[in-house]
Amino acid sequence: MVGLSVGEKHFIQGGINQNLRSDGRKRDTYRPIFVETGVIPQANGSARIRMGATEVIASVKAELGRPSALQPDKGKVAIFVDCSPVAEPTFEGRGGEDLSTELSVALQRCLLGGKSGAGAGIDLSSLVVAEGKICWDLYIDGLVVSSDGNLLDALGAAIKAALSNTGIPRVHVTAAASGDEQPEVDISDEEFLQFDTSEVPVIVTLTKVGRHYIVDATSEEESQMSSAISVSINRKGHICGLTKRGGAGIDPSVISDMISVAQYISEQLINKLDSEISAAEADEDES
Amino acid sequence: MREIQLSLNQTQKIRLQKALQKLESLHSKVNSDASVTVADTIPISLEDSILKGHGTAERNGEVVATVCGVVERVNMLVYVRSLRSRFKPEIGDIIVGRVVEVAQKRWKLEINFNQDAVLMLSSMNLPDGIQRRRTAVDELNMRNVFEENDVICAEVRNFQNDGSLQLQARSQKYGKLEKGQLLTVPPYLVKRQKQHFHHLVQYGVDLILGCNGFIWVGEHCDARDTVAEEQLNNTEEQNTKSTRVSENVPLETRRSICRVANAVRVLSTLGFSLTLEVILEAFNLSSTLNLGIDEMLGSEFHVLVAEKEAERRSSLTKKKR
Repeated sequence: MVGLSVGEKHFIQGGINQNLRSDGRKRDTYRPIFVETGVIPQANGSARIRMGATEVIASVKAELGRPSALQPDKGKVAIFVDCSPVAEPTFEGRGGEDLSTELSVALQRCLLGGKSGAGAGIDLSSLVVAEGKICWDLYIDGLVVSSDGNLLDALGAAIKAALSNTGIPRVHVTAAASGDEQPEVDISDEEFLQFDTSEVPVIVTLTKVGRHYIVDATSEEESQMSSAISVSINRKGHICGLTKRGGAGIDPSVISDMISVAQYISEQLINKLDSEISAAEADEDES
Repeated sequence: MREIQLSLNQTQKIRLQKALQKLESLHSKVNSDASVTVADTIPISLEDSILKGHGTAERNGEVVATVCGVVERVNMLVYVRSLRSRFKPEIGDIIVGRVVEVAQKRWKLEINFNQDAVLMLSSMNLPDGIQRRRTAVDELNMRNVFEENDVICAEVRNFQNDGSLQLQARSQKYGKLEKGQLLTVPPYLVKRQKQHFHHLVQYGVDLILGCNGFIWVGEHCDARDTVAEEQLNNTEEQNTKSTRVSENVPLETRRSICRVANAVRVLSTLGFSLTLEVILEAFNLSSTLNLGIDEMLGSEFHVLVAEKEAERRSSLTKKKR
């Protein structure tokens, strides 16, 4: 991340105050979003999302495993994010680890709900095969290829697109088992169940610069931020998760205001994403 | 040909292909047999003694190209000039750079080159305008002139022995750039021309095309005599500096700045050379179409710019004939 001169910083802040950012966007406009699905054929589902110069790839792999003893009727999902050194020279070696952990935790909080599994955006009960014995484990991996701000939103959108692209093989339980034995299963190669993503939330990050909030900040604008709030909102307008970053404190009334702005923006974002994802799936089917 | 990084639907892809093919056909008459790829033999007549320059190698008695590019011949020298390469500076080039370090009696600037350029304190006009020897006090006040991360416009003075550049900023038109934005484009898109400083009068916008690929778009500042005025009022120095910078750019000027900047971004994505005409064409196209400024970065506008450019160049070549 290159530094910015005093003049450039004032230009960016003045632009945000006047509702005209450096690339001509208003405060509540996203950069053009490009979606491509099925980019990793070995995974059960994958997607690549580009927002301006930010590019991320998400992939979903499904494996059979045992459900946890505390929740025998739910499958398991694990989310990991990796920041590639291709994105920033500072990510080389262990430099990207802090950011990766921060993003993974924020995504888990936004998409998976609390420890008991309540409020999860992804319906875990649909992943169970034999209650208490066998369930699907989903491993969701995100890779940051190019970083120009707003990584969390891009990763949330990529995960949503990858989940829409995910096909879970149909499983027949061939032999029932008693007690602790594992039942035998027959995994079909032909039939796939498409994952239901209508409940998966999107993440909207609002970055506070001066007195105003902007959505989809570039890395230059992020360097000027005082704090940022990421809200994950689903189609019904309900909040599934909330994360705050940045050193400055925010008054609670300001947080409520930011949340309502995020709800308003999320409607357009969900519609835009859905249309882009279906267009991408249609393209993938053609080719 | 490296793929253009845009997401286009089918019709847009076809239109873009057509426009690019039209542009290629306009230029294919020129020296198509001079372009070579790696390991192509360069035709030389064996009687002349030739000097093998950059991008060539001798293999089995033949002169062979080691890079993809165009063969150039100057007297006895034969070399291959590659089309896409790092910035190759020459003396007199206008450069836009960012200060990375304030060192003893010099500033080090980052200019998108393999080494940082050096701007000596003696190559910079003193704030009070007097020509005199730089003293230790001047050296201590260097940060008042340029600080870290400042954007500066300067000219290449000469090369140092290790290959790095030495810059000078003596004229009034060089110096610190404020109130605008800096864009980075591939350096081979900015060809050397007569004028690199453009003042778009009707919009009040300054456009500086640095040969190193840094492009500055900002509000118009009259020649940097503001620095001299500021330093004269020593007591009010801090106030005038901060008020000068924090005066807001008026909204109309900001719109023009953002539109010009987006025009440059679109042209850089398409890979077209950046000249004032082409940038103004893209600017006017977006104004006549009443496009929102941020819509200029969508794929439709890219295709329109490519088509317009193909039309413009074909009409130019027709006029020449």
